[in-house]
Amino acid sequence: MYFRLYYRPLSAIKNHPMHRLPRWDLLAQYGFYAFCSIVVLVLLSVLFTGDAMAKPQDHIEPSVSATSIPLVAKSALADETSYQPNYGSNDASNDQPNNELIVQSNNESYAVVDVGVLAIRGYKATITRWQPLMRWLETQIPNSYFRLHPLSLDELAKGVETQELDFVITNPGQSVLLARQYSLSWLATLRSPVNHGAAMQVGSALVVRADSAYHTLSDLKGRRLGIVSTSAFGGYLTLVYEAQLKGIDLPRFVGDIVPLGFPLDNLLYQLGGRRFTAHASPNIASMNSNVDANIDPNVEQATTNASPDISPSIIANPDSTLVPDLDLNTHHEVSQAAALDAVVVPVCQLEQMQREGLIDIADYRVLDNQAPAGFHCQVSTRLYPNWSMAKTNRASQSLAKSVTQALLALPEDHLAAKAADSAGWTTAVSQLAIDQLLKDLDMHPLQTPWWHNAWLWVKSHQQWAWFVLGILVLLNVYHFWLEYRFSRRGRELLNTQRQLSENRMLLEHAQRIAIVGELGASLSHELNQPLAAIGHYCHGAEVRLQRGSTPEELQSVLTLIQQEVTRADSIISRLRNLMKKRPISKVPCFLHELIQDTTPLLAYEFERHQINIGIHITGTPYLQPLDEVGMQQLLLNLLKNAADACVQQRELMQSEAQGTAQNSATHQQRYTPTIDIELDYQQSQILLTITDNGVGLSSEASQLMQAFYSTKLEGLGLGLVICRDIVDSHSGHFKLDSAVNGGCQVQVSLPRKADGVL
Amino acid sequence: MSLELPVYLIDDDDSVRRSLRFMLESYGLNIIDFDSAEAFFPAVDLTLPGCALVDVRMPGLSGSQLHAELIAKNSPLAVIYLTGHGDVPMAVEALKLGAVDFFQKPADGAKLAEAVVKALEHAKAHYQDNQYLETYQALTPREREILKLIAQGLKNQEIADNLCIAMRTVEIHRANLMKGMQVASLAEMMLIYGRIAERLPLE
Repeated sequence: MYFRLYYRPLSAIKNHPMHRLPRWDLLAQYGFYAFCSIVVLVLLSVLFTGDAMAKPQDHIEPSVSATSIPLVAKSALADETSYQPNYGSNDASNDQPNNELIVQSNNESYAVVDVGVLAIRGYKATITRWQPLMRWLETQIPNSYFRLHPLSLDELAKGVETQELDFVITNPGQSVLLARQYSLSWLATLRSPVNHGAAMQVGSALVVRADSAYHTLSDLKGRRLGIVSTSAFGGYLTLVYEAQLKGIDLPRFVGDIVPLGFPLDNLLYQLGGRRFTAHASPNIASMNSNVDANIDPNVEQATTNASPDISPSIIANPDSTLVPDLDLNTHHEVSQAAALDAVVVPVCQLEQMQREGLIDIADYRVLDNQAPAGFHCQVSTRLYPNWSMAKTNRASQSLAKSVTQALLALPEDHLAAKAADSAGWTTAVSQLAIDQLLKDLDMHPLQTPWWHNAWLWVKSHQQWAWFVLGILVLLNVYHFWLEYRFSRRGRELLNTQRQLSENRMLLEHAQRIAIVGELGASLSHELNQPLAAIGHYCHGAEVRLQRGSTPEELQSVLTLIQQEVTRADSIISRLRNLMKKRPISKVPCFLHELIQDTTPLLAYEFERHQINIGIHITGTPYLQPLDEVGMQQLLLNLLKNAADACVQQRELMQSEAQGTAQNSATHQQRYTPTIDIELDYQQSQILLTITDNGVGLSSEASQLMQAFYSTKLEGLGLGLVICRDIVDSHSGHFKLDSAVNGGCQVQVSLPRKADGVL
Repeated sequence: MSLELPVYLIDDDDSVRRSLRFMLESYGLNIIDFDSAEAFFPAVDLTLPGCALVDVRMPGLSGSQLHAELIAKNSPLAVIYLTGHGDVPMAVEALKLGAVDFFQKPADGAKLAEAVVKALEHAKAHYQDNQYLETYQALTPREREILKLIAQGLKNQEIADNLCIAMRTVEIHRANLMKGMQVASLAEMMLIYGRIAERLPLE
């Protein structure tokens, strides 16, 4: 006898739990570790570069030096100087404040004071607005030179952070943000030239075209809203807050928010309406309009879509401002006019531009106007404190005191006040309302510094950070090493498992052969019957032919012989299936048919020992994917066991009867060996119960289920093990128990599976 | 002829039974078949001669149990065993019980037919014996006693002396004896007595 190496198909191996494990969890684990490592590495690299950057900064003195000019301010200066000659060559406007600035910046004998200003309407407009104030301060404070730096929101913050500014002049929203992040002392607040010089003059105007159908904010649902920037206070945040108070989440309420950036003039132009060119205005926006009208539509596209703040492309085209276009009153429809439904501008922007002759206010309408009595501008929100001036850490207390005095002393009708569109300065106004607004909009500077604190902690506890990094690296290395070993073990396990399953196959097959061997007598009987019948028919036919029967008379015998051949063949093929080595394959079939197919193999065995066998089927039969050979083996094993138990019981009773030597006949008569097969097709499972009234279990059920444990002399001790294996492969339950009548009861439950699903 | 006598075929396997019947009928035998011993007993008069072809293993009463029942009833039916795969002990057991023959399936038709014919003869003889026995048992005890003494070769005078009866009385009994046994000669009566003597219960 030899065994050929037999490979179970992969699909069988895949049923193993190892294969059912989703490998995603491992991947996620790897990912997590990798992520952690990267975060820590980045953190540390930042720590080092941060240190390296911080060191030179420590040496920067807050005094004036060539290198201390902030990057941004420097670039602004460079821009200035670069187009300075242009002014000289093209125009006689040499007495522009810019020139003074340049000349004086080279004068070493003055104490230079850097003042950062938020440039909301472009660079030149900012210079025009604030330069007179610088001059006023210079006249009030001897030996000082106030250098003006028009900056964007971010640049202003950076300038304060890097201590390159002494003073800042900014709008209320920015001022609170700055004050919370950096040490700022508020010196004075700008007074409004109207409304009796009130210090409250910041808010938003929600502007639509006069001919549009919108009347309140709520009409703007799903519309396109143009704004200057999402961080602009007067131009945007105040309106968001106002909307929030009305229960409207503005960014979601409107369909689209388009940040167009500074200068503000663009917003109104984009909205549409007539546009006028004012020759007197130094406004950059007016330069733009000239460019639009006369030179190249492409340039307009470039400038209007350019980044906010101080756009180089705008500044680089000063020549075009001088194209004489004075009385033309160009009526120009912007191509994108239809794109915006409404815009948000800071309060008084509309009126200011009207005054400058850039627009006709009749073309526009302000929604939800709630200007207080006597306030001459239309405003859609409540009013907040006006622009304020603050000192940074860099400016000395004495300088701050002089500046404050100078500011407060500025007469209402002074050029500096008028240029700033104000009525002078007053003492700093409380920023509480703004504070509240920012808090409600979840933008308060105090609400996000947790990472900053953590960062500071890490910086001050470097050795711990290193320690943690070291541990993490070590853990990572250890983890990967473990992973490697685990995967190698996993492969080994899989190999072992495959070998085991091959061996199991061989064992099952060997056991099947063994059962067939045990069934030998029964099988030869089963085969002998049809062969005998065939023999008889043949002989009978032969004799009849000799005695003069015609072949026609004997035709029917051939049919009978054919039937017997079929019978023999079916027995042989049944056996052949059982003895074949073949992979496990499950096909949908009826279990009761399988039982009815299998019991004939044991019929002779039962008959020989006069065992009654009953098959009871309840429930509606349904198809179930089954391993036919496996189930047959299971049935054969169980029925053979039951039959053996019955025979043992009979022998036991006979020997007892002989022992007592009395009533032997009655004893023997009383015992009728019986095996009951009950098959119940339940809703959720198939329940197969095989009960016998044999000797019953001689050992614990758990012991009987162990391999190579047998109570029979010639037993291998594999039958029940293989039975349980087969049931397991059908994900069913195998239960061995004592029966009520002293025999043994085996219960096999197979969970129902959808028809045809394997 | 003995071929007219019934042959009872008892086998639980339909195909084997039908094929055997087909084969034996071709020899002109009178076959009556049953699928079990339980069906056989009520349908058959066991006192009449015939042959029983019995499958050894059957559900219910087995072949040997059927045979034992026949012996118990002193049936003249002769028994031939058929078996799927016979073994020697089983055959010995069967022949000890008085079976005529023992065949393994598939049985050779000619031999089986021959055995059946032999069995029928056997059965007929057995039936005859039964008849004689019945006649014998109808005799009076005195007549049986005189018959036994005659068989021992005693003359009438010796019998009379032996039984302390008159010679004349012995002669009357002897005449009655001949009449009761339905025989014409003394030799014939002795032949019959010889056949039944071995089956007589020991006295």
